[in-house]
Amino acid sequence: MGGLVLRNVSKRFGPVGVIDDLSLEVGEGEFAVFLGPSGCGKSTLLRMVAGLETLSAGEIHLGRRRIDALAPGERGVAMVFQHYALYPHMTVRQNMGFGLRNVGMPATEVEAKIAQAAALLEIGDLLDRRPAQLSGGQRQRVAIGRAIVKQPEAFLFDEPLSNLDAALRARTRVELARLHQQVPSTMVFVTHDQMEAMTLATRIVVMNAGRIEQVGTPIEVYRRPATRFVAGFIGTPAMNFLPVAAVEAEGARATAVLADGMRVPTAIPATRLPAGPLTLGVRAEHVVAGQGSPAVVEVVEHLGERTLIHARLQDGSALVYAEPGDSALRAGDAATLQADGSAVHLFDGAGRAYHAGLNP
Amino acid sequence: MHGRRTLGDHLVLAAVVLLAAIWVAPIAWIVGLSFKPNDELMRSTGHLLSPPFTLKNYADILGASSVFAWMLNSAVVAVGQTVLTLAVASAAGYGFARTSFPGKPVLFALTLAAFAVPEQAIIVPLHTLFAEADLHNTYAALILPRLAFPFGVLLMTQYFKAIPAEIEEAALLDNASRFKVFWRIALPLSLPAQATLGIYTFLHAWNDYFWPLVSATKPEMYTLTVGLASMQTNFAQTEGIGFLMAQAVFAGLPVLVLYLFFQRHIVTAVAGGAAK
Ligand SMILES: Nc1ncnc2c1ncn2[C@@H]1O[C@H](COP(=O)(O)OP(=O)(O)O)[C@@H](O)[C@H]1O
Ligand SMILES: [Mg+2]
Repeated sequence: MGGLVLRNVSKRFGPVGVIDDLSLEVGEGEFAVFLGPSGCGKSTLLRMVAGLETLSAGEIHLGRRRIDALAPGERGVAMVFQHYALYPHMTVRQNMGFGLRNVGMPATEVEAKIAQAAALLEIGDLLDRRPAQLSGGQRQRVAIGRAIVKQPEAFLFDEPLSNLDAALRARTRVELARLHQQVPSTMVFVTHDQMEAMTLATRIVVMNAGRIEQVGTPIEVYRRPATRFVAGFIGTPAMNFLPVAAVEAEGARATAVLADGMRVPTAIPATRLPAGPLTLGVRAEHVVAGQGSPAVVEVVEHLGERTLIHARLQDGSALVYAEPGDSALRAGDAATLQADGSAVHLFDGAGRAYHAGLNP
Repeated sequence: MHGRRTLGDHLVLAAVVLLAAIWVAPIAWIVGLSFKPNDELMRSTGHLLSPPFTLKNYADILGASSVFAWMLNSAVVAVGQTVLTLAVASAAGYGFARTSFPGKPVLFALTLAAFAVPEQAIIVPLHTLFAEADLHNTYAALILPRLAFPFGVLLMTQYFKAIPAEIEEAALLDNASRFKVFWRIALPLSLPAQATLGIYTFLHAWNDYFWPLVSATKPEMYTLTVGLASMQTNFAQTEGIGFLMAQAVFAGLPVLVLYLFFQRHIVTAVAGGAAK
């Protein structure tokens, strides 16, 4: 076992830069989730760790070894691919045993490892089937089983849940979390699904266009997003962004005046704010109805446990807010809305975030 | 099939039966003629179904002492060509599909260009080449020139490309060497293409006439096609029609037997080749 260290890693495909000078340490036994939109370089990064893609620059260390020049099989990692990549012509047992037999493990030992992993994943009765005879969820388990038997120093998962239907995805998510408790290896998990990241990660690495935007626990990235990108990417519905017309200092705190005249007294220290245009960010659950600016309801989403109301302020900006339970509001109704100043964020022109209390 | 057949089903069935009949008719005609005395056929070929019938044509073939030796030659050449073509096409196809090396596009383009070269254009240089190497009248001469088979290389290249790269990458992570990935993963997964190419190559080799005719000049090195042709008299088309037909049936028999054995594979190979 050991931690994974990426040091100044870059990747270019010809003239196109995909990963740009990325450095990161993933602690031993950590469940790190790389979260980012499609095409931001997550798979490329994972494939570089696995040895399926060369590095243009930088170093990768796992445990005490530098691994970036080693062959894929010698790196001590196991990968679970997005499309499972099971060997179609082999049974489940052969799929799981292939890697062990390749390093010359005796047959009895191979059998024992397969049996152990099969029990853990509850796939004991599937061992003599071929991949084509398995459901998507079962294939997924076999792919995980094939990784587990190797007892790697680090597991690499490339969006392994994205091919499952919603119900199965939710269940497998929980099972993966449980698995990490039973197999406490370092895990690196890549996804574009923030829900997966929030439920699985001990640490989330938010990526955008080949760079790291923020590294933090799920609650940290949710409560204190480092950039406007992170703020907009994490959370459902996405955070509301409203242009700030003016900032007034009230004591040490800044009060933001929005374009439609709404005054939002924040808990953000005024002295830290830069000159130049600012944007206010507020999540739907931190918008309060019944006071503040007039707005018109446009769309009402009844989700059962809460209701999302899409409204428009007088200056034309859109604002989504959430009410617990059901709501009697309908499209066309009038409402008054106020952002809860204690929970808002401000972003400068470069996307840098300013929060209440201590700023980074 | 379950349930009632619709009118459309009946029409399709009728069309298939009709096509099959059209297809089979000449073969039935050949088989029929092969059992008739040659002197009757000289006068008329119109009384296929009425006696007299004779086995003399087949007896004449089997009477030629070399027939089984020629058949063995054909088998060696056809099997050798098939096995070696599969080996060459698979190796080259995998190389083109999965590796990158300087000059690969040029090499691939050259391979494709070989498609456009007709057999007749190279038969003379080929003959000279093997004459200078003193290889005529050997199995090597009968087999080797046919191994450069661009269609086979192209087929295998496309097939290997269609295998998801992730499967092979998973094997690399499973400590398999490049060769092992080829041998244990890619090759088994390409079996349908191997079957298509193998059957095609075998039939082509078995029926081949031009090159063996040019290269094998000694009767003991004749393949079956060349050997049978050598038995024909000058006026076979008029005086020996029954014998000619019996030869055709005889030469086609081993292929027919093979077909009966491998029918299922051949059908899937051809269908799979079309659907891919
Ligand atoms: N082999 C390659 N050659 C050229 N560009 C590539 C290659 N692989 C990936 N890319 C590009 O790199 C970027 C990141 O891809 P990827 O790592 O697959 O993103 P993600 O997994 O985050 O969706 C994409 O723009 C993609 O087009
Ligand atoms: Mg990806």
